[in-house]
Amino acid sequence: MLISATTAETETAVEPVKKASGKTLWLLAPGVIWMLLFLVTPILMMIYVSFWTQTTFKITPDLTIKSWVTFFTTDTYLSALWTTIRIWLIVLVSTLVVGYPAALYVGLFVKNKTIQTALLVLCVIPFWTSFLIRVLAWRPMLGKEGTINLILQGLGIIHQPIEVLLFSELSVIIGMTQIYCVFMVGPIAFMMGRIDQSIIEAAQDLGAGFWRIFRTIILPLTMPGVVVGAIFVSVMVLGEFATAAALSGRKVNLLGNIIVTQVGSLKWAFAAVVGVVLTLLMGIVVAALLRVVDLRKEL
Amino acid sequence: MQAGGIKLSLGVYTALFLIFLYAPMVVLAILSFQTGPEGGPQFPIIEWSTYWYKHLFGLTPPSRIAPLPINEALVRSLMLSVMTMIVSTVLGVTSAQAFRRRFPGSGVVFYLIVLGMMVPGVLVGLGMALVANALGIDRHWWGTAFVLHVVYTYPFAFLVMLAILNRFDQSVEEASWSLGVSPARTFRRVTFPLIFPGVLSAMLFAFTLSYDEFSRTLFASGRDLTLPLAIYGTFSVEVHPNVFAFGVLTTIFSFALLGVYAILMMLSIRRAKRVAIQEEA
Repeated sequence: MLISATTAETETAVEPVKKASGKTLWLLAPGVIWMLLFLVTPILMMIYVSFWTQTTFKITPDLTIKSWVTFFTTDTYLSALWTTIRIWLIVLVSTLVVGYPAALYVGLFVKNKTIQTALLVLCVIPFWTSFLIRVLAWRPMLGKEGTINLILQGLGIIHQPIEVLLFSELSVIIGMTQIYCVFMVGPIAFMMGRIDQSIIEAAQDLGAGFWRIFRTIILPLTMPGVVVGAIFVSVMVLGEFATAAALSGRKVNLLGNIIVTQVGSLKWAFAAVVGVVLTLLMGIVVAALLRVVDLRKEL
Repeated sequence: MQAGGIKLSLGVYTALFLIFLYAPMVVLAILSFQTGPEGGPQFPIIEWSTYWYKHLFGLTPPSRIAPLPINEALVRSLMLSVMTMIVSTVLGVTSAQAFRRRFPGSGVVFYLIVLGMMVPGVLVGLGMALVANALGIDRHWWGTAFVLHVVYTYPFAFLVMLAILNRFDQSVEEASWSLGVSPARTFRRVTFPLIFPGVLSAMLFAFTLSYDEFSRTLFASGRDLTLPLAIYGTFSVEVHPNVFAFGVLTTIFSFALLGVYAILMMLSIRRAKRVAIQEEA
């Protein structure tokens, strides 16, 4: 009697769980299949093709490491790799340096919630213009006869136009910083908003100055935001090619630009090698950043 | 006292920051009113005119400057964005719904989905082109490019829905079930209206991201251009103010879209409030 009651209980207890997992499976299946077919398969294909044999206009599926050897022995490719890493690091630091003070002001010093939201919306609005148009918008700003040079000359600060502003590495960095700093400001401002004001008040009551509060409370508590922002910025900058194409006048070649050129001349195997290198680079960067912060917990 | 000085300087800094964000677009908008066809994409404005706007619509006498191929591209881009929006929102809602229960392997599935927004477009685009080549499939914006757009926007829809469902009060659903309403009907009549603001946000995200997406489209779309690809095409040639005029128009379009979203959002929130009041009475 007692035994049958417990088995009946376990049966009813087990049943909904079983049912639930079946339902879960059906709910998940479409998305998972879509990602496996159209995300994982293309990446695996890219890895596979990077070992194919490349002749002038054709690739054949005879496996070889020739394309890989070419990549690591050609200056153009290697310098593109270094340029990509260098620009990524510079943009990462510049978005942080440019964005953090603004996030600090909006998140901590603006007490009025309406004004705070309005300022954040103001930061996001430029994001609503097409990315490519935002890139192009830097051309009339930075050119030799561009707005910045005109203003600086008009103010008498310079007498010769600064030519290095456009079609240089600097223009790519300026453009990328403006385009991507929003992705840094957002997560940081979000973390600022979460800080309990009473902690700061307590620190003030105990006589801590602004810098001390900043160093021991604000900076550590906003670090997850910095890391999330860094993930966004890294992922986007490492895969970039359009900004460099539009603002550097072909002087700056990122890995992305190399891929575009290679595909343009039907060198699929070389493009695939560059693609795999880029994937590895990205994987290392994102994995390292994810070790610092758990993305799922920050949601 | 010291904090006051810091607040002031940070305020000034933030103002400069906003100027840095907006200046290029403002300059671009001003220069779009440059006279044509001899006026260039830089200051000074020789004469104010709407020449380049007319040029976009083919209303100007022919000149050596080719019009942007935006007509058909616009139709393609809109269709592609709508298709992407529908599919990725449906996928996002269903998988977020699945994540409400704990299941083994949820971590792997989570990162598999999020990977879609992490992997650079140029990589999936290249991979997709290679797959299409190997299988002998023609590349089209409505095929190979479309599936990649969903790969990109579906994670956003998923994360938005996950955030909404995290804050969801499950007791309403349970009440409905215990009253004998079927799960499908409960979802339609109870769950869906409650998560609708989230669905709306997911749709907006998916639409705008797809409408603006070009790195995935570049290799995967074949011969027919979408709108961003048409703009990308101008990168390699001399830039004329017609691109600027076009930039202003697309920005206005985006804001119109944002306006529609805001109105729908307000209506759905008002409706939710009305239902709540009725129930209390």
